[in-house]
Amino acid sequence: MKATLASQAVTALRRGFSGPVGWRDHVVGCAIALAYLAWLLSTAPELGFPRDEGFYFQAATQYAAWWRMLLERGSDALQRGAIDSAWGFNHEHPALMKTLFGISEYLLHQKWHLLSEASTAFRLPGMTFAAAAVWTTYVFGARAWNRRTGLSAAILFALMPRVFFHAHLACFDVPITAMWILCVYVHWRAQAGRSIGWALAVGIVYGLALETKHNAWLIPVALVPHALFVHRRAIARGLAAGRLSLPTSLVSMAIVGPLVFYALWPYLWSDTFARVQWYVEFHLNHEYYNIEFLGKNYFGPPSPKSYLPVMVLATVPAVTLLLFGVGTVDRAIVGLRRLDAWARRLLRRVAGGASRPTATDGDVPPRDPLETDLLLFLSLAVAVGPFFLPATPIFGGTKHWMPAYPILALIAGRGFDIVASAMRAALPRLDARRWAMAEGALWTSVVAAPLAVTAHSFPFGLSAYVPLVGGTAGGADLGLNRQFWGFTSQNAAEEYLNTNAPRGAPVFIHDTTWEAWGRMQQEGRVRGDLRAVGAPGEATMALVQHELHMNEVDYSIWVALGTDAPAYIVEHDGVPIVSVYQRK
Amino acid sequence: MPAVGLLELGAHAAQVSSVAPERDWNAARDYVATQAKREDLVTFAPAWADPIGRQRFGPDIATIEREGLPDESRFPRAFEVAIRDAHAPVVRGWRRTDERRFGGVTVRTWENPAPAPVIDDLVSAIGPDRLHVSVGDRDCPFVHGSPQSGGLGFGPAVPGDRFTCSGGGFVGVSVVADLDYVARRCIYAPPAGGSLRLRFAGVRFGRSLRGHHALYVEAERTKQGAPVTISFSVGSTAIGSVVHRDGEGWKPFEFDTSLLAGTQEDLTADITSSGDRRMYCFEAATR
Repeated sequence: MKATLASQAVTALRRGFSGPVGWRDHVVGCAIALAYLAWLLSTAPELGFPRDEGFYFQAATQYAAWWRMLLERGSDALQRGAIDSAWGFNHEHPALMKTLFGISEYLLHQKWHLLSEASTAFRLPGMTFAAAAVWTTYVFGARAWNRRTGLSAAILFALMPRVFFHAHLACFDVPITAMWILCVYVHWRAQAGRSIGWALAVGIVYGLALETKHNAWLIPVALVPHALFVHRRAIARGLAAGRLSLPTSLVSMAIVGPLVFYALWPYLWSDTFARVQWYVEFHLNHEYYNIEFLGKNYFGPPSPKSYLPVMVLATVPAVTLLLFGVGTVDRAIVGLRRLDAWARRLLRRVAGGASRPTATDGDVPPRDPLETDLLLFLSLAVAVGPFFLPATPIFGGTKHWMPAYPILALIAGRGFDIVASAMRAALPRLDARRWAMAEGALWTSVVAAPLAVTAHSFPFGLSAYVPLVGGTAGGADLGLNRQFWGFTSQNAAEEYLNTNAPRGAPVFIHDTTWEAWGRMQQEGRVRGDLRAVGAPGEATMALVQHELHMNEVDYSIWVALGTDAPAYIVEHDGVPIVSVYQRK
Repeated sequence: MPAVGLLELGAHAAQVSSVAPERDWNAARDYVATQAKREDLVTFAPAWADPIGRQRFGPDIATIEREGLPDESRFPRAFEVAIRDAHAPVVRGWRRTDERRFGGVTVRTWENPAPAPVIDDLVSAIGPDRLHVSVGDRDCPFVHGSPQSGGLGFGPAVPGDRFTCSGGGFVGVSVVADLDYVARRCIYAPPAGGSLRLRFAGVRFGRSLRGHHALYVEAERTKQGAPVTISFSVGSTAIGSVVHRDGEGWKPFEFDTSLLAGTQEDLTADITSSGDRRMYCFEAATR
């Protein structure tokens, strides 16, 4: 009876989702996104505050206060002094996310008391953007190929351990990932017709992406050639007629995008050119930080070319990468066949024959007017391309190329769809119920490992590596970066300091910022009487967050505290994350 | 595809459940504690497990002298405490004489085929009884102060027990991160005013004076600093001189002292450099 009901439910669901992609798919995408958001919210308190979050919390508070000032005393807020005072802090990054962090904290924590921890309220916009990226990935995959592709892509993206880690933070890496895929998606939709709405949306979304993080500077490198290729015939016809006919979406991106960027960042309202120039130069000449790769500490150029491929292999679940490989081969074959057919037609045309396909062309894949494969390829290549350049700093680990991951997931989703279709073809005699079971087993086999690995990696998402390289211990064996940002002090407190540190003990907090430590105390994560100090010699307790270049701090503690034996070590799968020393 | 997914899941389960428990470490520690002599090396493998080894074995076994060893040549025997079948590079070429497993922790005993026993270790001679430090004609008094230390970039901790010189110079025993971020216990002697003189009293000589020198990693990794020279002499007789240039890391040196073998003399070390931030450290021992 139960089986019959389940079977009927599946059949009904399939009927409901057998039509064109539409509002129901947004319901599905939203549901997956909300589930992901709920998971992020439930785990957020386990994660300490990284260095950068400390700065962004502070900036967010200032920016939100300015917006309140604008609403209450508009003309005062618009004075240059008031703007520079509020927005001058942390102006190396644009304002959108920090503004949202601040507004979220003010409304959801301070005013409406919906979130008991201020930090969770600060982080909520970042988590929401992560959820939005999952939603967009689903809808994109469903529209580009089918719902199975979209669903598997969304899940495989959400279940990347590094994405899950960064999705918790009040930072910009996951938000720009969300904006990148949204920008690509909206651009893709805009190429389908002459809708001014979609074209305008491209400009607005691109402006918001610019206002999210500077990765957005690269988006046109993917979108412009794609749009020109899609509209090549119209452009050629226009040129032949003596006019330049550019796609509306590109015009919108070029005009509306910068306007949105300018409008939402009050810091640029004065000395605009000089301040934009400073912002650009800051990132083009960004200093290098230390990071370990294959046992070597890199602190300047040249960056190793193998960094990105090795880190992707070491941090993205193998089954996801394998599906990405299947999807890539499929798209490459389709592309090559189209190219072959085009070349044949061209040759015939040159030879004076017909340019239309003939029987000798074989089974030519249908033409995709939106050139989806080209768009995905360009978007992926542009997101990862800079990390093959020797001058590009690598200190961010994997987070700086995360905009590539929804696209990687989309192609992996396509790979999953091919595998599922192949399984269907191999099992033609299965009835609907058994086929549903078989497909369920396939889904489980593909999703189980990414889910287990991702869930287990948290909150040590920067220390954890995938089973392909031996997990966390395998990553340590390879000499891959253990962590950065000093956020694991919270784990040291929860596991040891809060119960063992003497009352009022001065604690050397190492890589943790004062702001982060103070907030962990305010929220009861770290005992309030423990006093942070900046030198091991001043401390009774000392922390060292293990990274290769932080060994020097470790040795300094040995001398300052007179012992080389930690009192306690926070470990993940047996790998040291934080050592806690206590003065003898 | 399902097989790959399930294989990955199985590998994950195996990896997270294969961590050596504390009881295995404790059993290994109890064994090493009964076997290791003062002159033996105790080392942990892989290198990333070193903090765990120090915590589980404690500072009496995992001493700072063993952790910050200059090189392996002085040790006749080593106990290699390993997880994950790792090997410590310091025992490469040695002869394995024993191996015991304590669950997930393995203790291997290695014999050094050609140990070079230390007669007199200059690092152990730091103190007012055996060392006199001066800058030019000004003496640097020995003080018992508080250690000075900081976070990343501060440099090695300045030990509480140290000779302090006018102009900010000092001499004391510290632990320096070398160019490979390996711990090196050594005589931290930055030539702040351009030169430092260390006179060690009553050094017992053998056939050679063997040592290493380096700068704190951040002081030499950009390879922009001036070289540092250390020159050893006994009375007016020069024993040898060696220059450390940025980027050379923990650099070994050795001088022939055959003519002094069996004697006990005062040994002078002159350290000179023309550069700033020369956070220099050396160790030397007679053999």
